[in-house]
Amino acid sequence: MPTNRRRRGKSKSAFPKWTKTAVGLGLGIIGFCIPLLFTFTGLSFAGHLALGIFLMAAVFWMFEPIPIYSTSMLVIFLQIVLLSTQGPLFQGSQLPETFAEPVGEQTWSLPAEAVDGDQIFLKKSPTRSEELSIEVIERNDQVIFFSTEITAETPVVAQYKHKLVQYEPVSYTRFFNTLASPIIILFLGGFMLAAGAVKYNLDKNLTNVLLKPFGTKPMFIVLGLMLVTAVLSAFMSNTATTAMMMTVAIPIAMQVAKEDKFRIMLALCIPIAANIGGMATPIGTPPNAIVISALNQQGLGIAFGSWMALMVPLALLLLLLAWGTMRVIFPPTVDSFKLALKSSFDKSYKAIMLYAIFGLTVLLWVTEAQHGIPSGMIAFLPIAGLTVTSVLSKDDVRSLPWEVLWLVAGGIALGISMENTGLAIWLVSSISWEMLPQFMLLLVFGFVALMLSNFLSNTVTATLLIPLAISMGTAGIGGEGFNLIITSLLIGSACNMAMLLPISTPPNAIAMSTGFIKTADMVKVGIVIGIFGLLTALTMALIYWPFLI
Amino acid sequence: MSDIYILCVEDEPEVLDVVVRDLADLEDVFPIEMAVSAEEAREIIQEMKERGDKLGLAICDHVMPGEKGVELLIDMQNDEFTRRTRKLLLTGQAGLEDTVEALNKAKLNRYIAKPWDPAELLQIAIDELTTFVIEHEKDLLRYMGVLDIKRIQEVIREKGSFSDS
Repeated sequence: MPTNRRRRGKSKSAFPKWTKTAVGLGLGIIGFCIPLLFTFTGLSFAGHLALGIFLMAAVFWMFEPIPIYSTSMLVIFLQIVLLSTQGPLFQGSQLPETFAEPVGEQTWSLPAEAVDGDQIFLKKSPTRSEELSIEVIERNDQVIFFSTEITAETPVVAQYKHKLVQYEPVSYTRFFNTLASPIIILFLGGFMLAAGAVKYNLDKNLTNVLLKPFGTKPMFIVLGLMLVTAVLSAFMSNTATTAMMMTVAIPIAMQVAKEDKFRIMLALCIPIAANIGGMATPIGTPPNAIVISALNQQGLGIAFGSWMALMVPLALLLLLLAWGTMRVIFPPTVDSFKLALKSSFDKSYKAIMLYAIFGLTVLLWVTEAQHGIPSGMIAFLPIAGLTVTSVLSKDDVRSLPWEVLWLVAGGIALGISMENTGLAIWLVSSISWEMLPQFMLLLVFGFVALMLSNFLSNTVTATLLIPLAISMGTAGIGGEGFNLIITSLLIGSACNMAMLLPISTPPNAIAMSTGFIKTADMVKVGIVIGIFGLLTALTMALIYWPFLI
Repeated sequence: MSDIYILCVEDEPEVLDVVVRDLADLEDVFPIEMAVSAEEAREIIQEMKERGDKLGLAICDHVMPGEKGVELLIDMQNDEFTRRTRKLLLTGQAGLEDTVEALNKAKLNRYIAKPWDPAELLQIAIDELTTFVIEHEKDLLRYMGVLDIKRIQEVIREKGSFSDS
């Protein structure tokens, strides 16, 4: 029997995988239950429900007991069940009505359960109420108060604790509509263009053409790789760009001696540039979608080209910062390097249709401000165009990253409820922000976004923070000089600057698994980009962005 | 998470050791099992199956006491668990008939004649395992460091296996 048998046992982790799942699920469910068990003053009934959904989603997004996109689906599910007009809680529900009894000159009496401290709620419609401050004179079972603003015929909400007070439920379709909102369609258009580019090798061929002018000096090759990566990643997903650019960078890296730091730089420059490039256009990366849709809901639109005018300079500065940092940390020892760049553009009918649609779409997007057609509408050009011309087949359509659209849609939907249940305002109003100077407020938001985003998905970070910033603007608690657009853009860009660890972004994970870089290398550059990048963005937010907005 | 194994079957312990040494670079990611006979190999495969692991690559000698290597490979091809395993015959003495049988019935992926070049053996193992993970694994990043990075990256690009989050 076995004479010479051996198996080197691989060390298994001390905790089986299910414990992490169980802890995540458990904490999420606890989070969901907290607002149901405790009553928080100043938060509406619906706000409690929204807080439960928010806490659960935050925990699930952090611990990932279930995939992040399925958490988004769960969010939408809970919202339609718990917070919609048609859900069991609000179906047919109406505000209970009463009328104040006159007891003297503009002095009124109402039952105690109709008076919440120093305010009552006027019933404006069966489901909508409005708060009114009163001067309480005497408080017993009946509250006697003074008010000039009501009459004996003004309908008053009989119970201030009623679930419809301070929350007007929305139709469940409002939550579903997030999945077909203009920003999601914009992303879908971008996904289809990217799928076409990969299918007909447009991405690779473009790269080879664009890299040619960067010559043979290692530092310039790296600069070239970074610029090309950033440009592509502005229109394709960061991850797809990284995967593609890696196929270009790896053959170069393979020819460099193993000890040469040039190798590290080659593998590291690509995820960094891809992460940064994602900032440059609205479709670059999903956190941008969260920013734009939140602003759209406030009636603030940012045209495709305006976004680029705001963000491209920042992205360029960050690229130079990263390039300079890597040059110092990983100085290359080779003098020159020859790149074998061969481009062979596909000249078939379908490929040419793709080039035409790609070019036209990008042109129309960038000139949105000039012709006035919204970018979400233009996005339907590739959606319809690429399938009509059968550039993309049924299988290609199936393999689009649909789950990213769900992730973003869930984020947008959560934002709606945080906003209209008063949860977002309640969360931020506990801190007196007026005390902070404007740049400190931006710094705090940016720093929190940066920290969270290093450990969480960038989109999730934006989803959790953007509604808070928006509510500060709408509630006017942001202090003097608070600008909704600038604050949101800063948070969005901070989310995209998180590239400290392999887990920070999928591009980092891809680069890491080549085995060319160590986590320490990534951390070194990541820290510099995080800190100086945030400061750069802050500078832009204070001296450059205000001129364009 | 299940592991993907390499199985080396060779009746001479010294030769077996050399094979394993040549593949040492892969061992961190793909644990190597050794068997000195086809019968022992079957036991090991059975254990893997019970543990829920996978067999990615089998490197098999032909002339061994007892059951021959080609017979083992044919049985592996006929078994659901090992059908996808990349199969490599490493031998100096297999006749034409056996070799043809291995090709036709065991769907042999590679034939290496003894004596072999260590670098070539490693490269072939890398190629075959790369094909195996590309065809059957979802999480390719885990294997990229030791396998053919270029091919794996190309697949990640084409399939769009990862998306922004």
